[in-house]
Amino acid sequence: MSAVRTPAAKRTVGQLIKRLLLLDLFKGLALTFKYNARALYEPRDGGNPNQAIYTEQYPLEAARVSERFRGAPRLNLDPDTGTTLCIACDLCALACPVDCIEVGSIRREVRDGEKVNKKKVLTTFIFDTSRCMFCNLCAEACPTDCLELTQSFELAVYHRSGFRWDREMLEKGINYVRYAK
Amino acid sequence: MQEQPAASGRETLFDSEEMVLNMGPQHPSTHGVLRVILRLDGETVVDLDCDVGYLHRGVEKIAESDTYAMITPYWDRLDYVAAVSNDLCYVGGVEKLLQIEVPKRAEYLRVVLTELQRIASHLLWLGTHALDIGAVTVLLYAFREREEILKIFEDFIGARLTAHAFRIGGLWWDVYPEFETRVRDFLKILPGRIEEYETLLNANRIWLQRTVGIGVLPAEEAINLSLTGPGLRGSGVKYDVRKAQPYSAYPDFDFEIPIGENGDTYDRYLCRMEEIKQAALIVEQALDGLPEGPVMAKVPKVIKPPVGEVYHSIEAPKGEIGVYLVSDGTSKPYRMRIRPPSYINLQSLKRMSIGHLVADVVALIGTLDIVLGEVDR
Amino acid sequence: MQGILATLMFVAPDWVRNTVTHERPPNVFWADYVVWPVLQILIVLFIVLTLVAYLVYLERKVSAFMQARLGPMRVGPWGLLQPAADGLKLLLKEDIIPLKADRVVFALAPIISVVSALVVLAVIPWGAAWATIANINIGLLFILAVSSVGVLGLVLAGWASNSKYSLLGALRSSAQMVSYEIGLGLSIIGALMFARTLSMSGIVEAQQADHIWYVFFQPLGFLVYVISALGETNRAPFDLPEAESELVAGYHTEYSGFRWALFFMAEYSAMIVTAAIAVTLFLGGWMLPGVTGTSFFGWFGPIQNPTLHTIASVVVFGLKIMLLIYAYMWFRWTWPRYRYDQLMELGWKWMIPAGLANIVLTGIWYVLAMPPSRGGVFNLMREVGGRLVPTGKGALYFFVTGTAITVPLVWLLLANINRRSRDFNLHDQRQLQINLRRERLEKALQPQAADNGAQ
Repeated sequence: MSAVRTPAAKRTVGQLIKRLLLLDLFKGLALTFKYNARALYEPRDGGNPNQAIYTEQYPLEAARVSERFRGAPRLNLDPDTGTTLCIACDLCALACPVDCIEVGSIRREVRDGEKVNKKKVLTTFIFDTSRCMFCNLCAEACPTDCLELTQSFELAVYHRSGFRWDREMLEKGINYVRYAK
Repeated sequence: MQEQPAASGRETLFDSEEMVLNMGPQHPSTHGVLRVILRLDGETVVDLDCDVGYLHRGVEKIAESDTYAMITPYWDRLDYVAAVSNDLCYVGGVEKLLQIEVPKRAEYLRVVLTELQRIASHLLWLGTHALDIGAVTVLLYAFREREEILKIFEDFIGARLTAHAFRIGGLWWDVYPEFETRVRDFLKILPGRIEEYETLLNANRIWLQRTVGIGVLPAEEAINLSLTGPGLRGSGVKYDVRKAQPYSAYPDFDFEIPIGENGDTYDRYLCRMEEIKQAALIVEQALDGLPEGPVMAKVPKVIKPPVGEVYHSIEAPKGEIGVYLVSDGTSKPYRMRIRPPSYINLQSLKRMSIGHLVADVVALIGTLDIVLGEVDR
Repeated sequence: MQGILATLMFVAPDWVRNTVTHERPPNVFWADYVVWPVLQILIVLFIVLTLVAYLVYLERKVSAFMQARLGPMRVGPWGLLQPAADGLKLLLKEDIIPLKADRVVFALAPIISVVSALVVLAVIPWGAAWATIANINIGLLFILAVSSVGVLGLVLAGWASNSKYSLLGALRSSAQMVSYEIGLGLSIIGALMFARTLSMSGIVEAQQADHIWYVFFQPLGFLVYVISALGETNRAPFDLPEAESELVAGYHTEYSGFRWALFFMAEYSAMIVTAAIAVTLFLGGWMLPGVTGTSFFGWFGPIQNPTLHTIASVVVFGLKIMLLIYAYMWFRWTWPRYRYDQLMELGWKWMIPAGLANIVLTGIWYVLAMPPSRGGVFNLMREVGGRLVPTGKGALYFFVTGTAITVPLVWLLLANINRRSRDFNLHDQRQLQINLRRERLEKALQPQAADNGAQ
């Protein structure tokens, strides 16, 4: 177990001269001056930790979002048929810790050759993004790849009712103003 | 509050009236909504009282009506600065209750993420502590490194701050292709950046004057006050849960625990800086020895642990965080109790600040490293 | 119209005098003492107030670059119109006066602060010849006296805010300012010994005649001056009374909108003024060897055309002030801040004794170097028109004694005295009081605890 070392109370001549010349203060000054100088001549590359300026100028530059980012929810459609992948199993609503999902469904008769099945068909799907904590439990619970948390994070709306997303909004995604160069 | 007898008599030169000052819940330096009621004599603190509860959200009560898997995201929001290590405590507790063996690969990845989170949490502590004492630049530098770690988390887990990182039984996702490269690149730039912080602070005479000798807590008093974490180790007590009661994959790694000498603010600062370096060492060892295999154990869909109770604690960046779970056989816990390190560490604030000046109280709150999410739950 | 204004600004006042008076010869008074000074005042005020606004912008940019970020970028190209946006916002803000505040004093306090900070601009030697508005022969004394009046504005602001904490903050700020003003005043006397005059232009001309900047003779004086200037203007590392993390609110908490802007202007003008004094006394004023004032060690001389020379000198002065102000900002964003008692200790136990020691030692070196006819020993100075000017060897002598002997000697002396004096201070009495109080409270609570236990 190593011990941390506090500054010794020894007074060597070298230490005294360093204290007299305010060397500890000037070392700090040199560091900040180096940053200041680098900021003036280095090319701007926001988000790069090796550059002197670390700022990404959002919204002029697009924000950097990862692939697995858990943002706005989306109900995926089948790419071939264009119908929803949701089977109205209600597992997402059961998994949600904050009860922000409401799944409405009806049973419809479907002819499958000779047999007549009563299949559950999705009617309404209400997702309250103001309650959601984006924990991903609903997307993990979904047996088909229907419910997914996408990379969209600009979810601001002008009125609180805009937070309750219905099925149409969930399938299309949110529209927002884009600021680009 | 009972009536305190007034300071009577003329034993010293300074007997005078006392003033009660309220360092209210809205304050730039109380790291959240903490209310501190100070009793001052001139500028010296003679008594201190903390009024907490402004961020109480009833997490322990919510846990009684949610299933075990649903409770995990709530643990992120306790110590929101170091969310990943909170998750480790809770899922470790449930796994203990269920007697599940987590795959080795998942354990190693958990250690990598937890130690990265420890670095991130200490960086935030460093930034805010330096900010309170006046060195504003250190805040911005520390946040730049923390941002790098949060980017790594975002790519791995999907969220930066309240990352629902661990699941009961392992991890949900395996690594993404550039994970190891990114983490190793970060570890390469980290020592240079730590040197920068040390240049700005370690030998700086103003910093030394503000932190040496402030808030001295002898080892015995620290133990009596149930202090844990870097505060305890700064007072010279060799106690770290990772070594005392090893959990997860920590027995496989070789690291040191920094101990302080005097128990003042400067020693706690040095302890945390050294812990950042040791955490970087652990991450490197974990990446070097990362085994192959699955990242999720076989866990039933509906988690119904057997009747029983368990206490599991880990070394979070703030101290020892623990979970006490009582299960009654159903899918929802009967009782979940959180041992919040910040709440228990906050007790030492009174002992440390009596006799110091008002400007030191701010430094002491910073050195205790409290997060109000944990204090109030 | 622009042509007339341009020529009025850049041509010597003789032209102005002639223009105004070419019909009525005896009316020199109006040209020399009214029109031209008013013009000068307007120019200086305009430049300084714009500079104050852009100093805020510069501070934000400098602090941003040092902290790996960008600073204001949205308002105008590179954020250059940010001060305009800030000013507009402050003008349009609601003017809040606390309920039980003293309205007259509340309105008066920022005015006192800003007026005392701006009046001083009249005696600062912005450049050679006609670039000083009022070349009075007690310029330095005038500056110190008038800028002390600013403290009154501070205290009145704290009092009129009708808030316990604003009053305490104001008292602490003003105590700090007054303490460091003493250090300020003492540190400049060393340089005055060489300059032999209190007139600001005279001090610059003395450095011109000596062909040296007084910082080389007076490094200790310069150091004490800079530290005292930081303490006087409440800049870091002495900005605890203003800091956000400080519990006691500052004196300007209850001020909003334009009244707060006035306090802000006063603070930044005080920064400019202290920087200007430092440049005048220690850094050669508007002189730059080879450009203005003196030749470059004999190679190429200063600018000969008088008008161009004056303009160049104003530019040189401005650049030097900006260097010093950059240094102020550099210090603020690098170092932590001192606690209030440490700050006062620095001012009273280090700056003031160092200033006094500097005076004594400089006097000793000066007297030793005087010619024997005046009572000196080494004869390293010669008399030139009423002043004593050091010879080449004299300059070296003063430089060596100033840096190698004065500074270490004073530092060793003060370090020893301050270390020993800790035994005499009242820290132990305070700790004794706190311990006694704690014991008394514990004893009082014990019988009560016994009662509660018994019940």
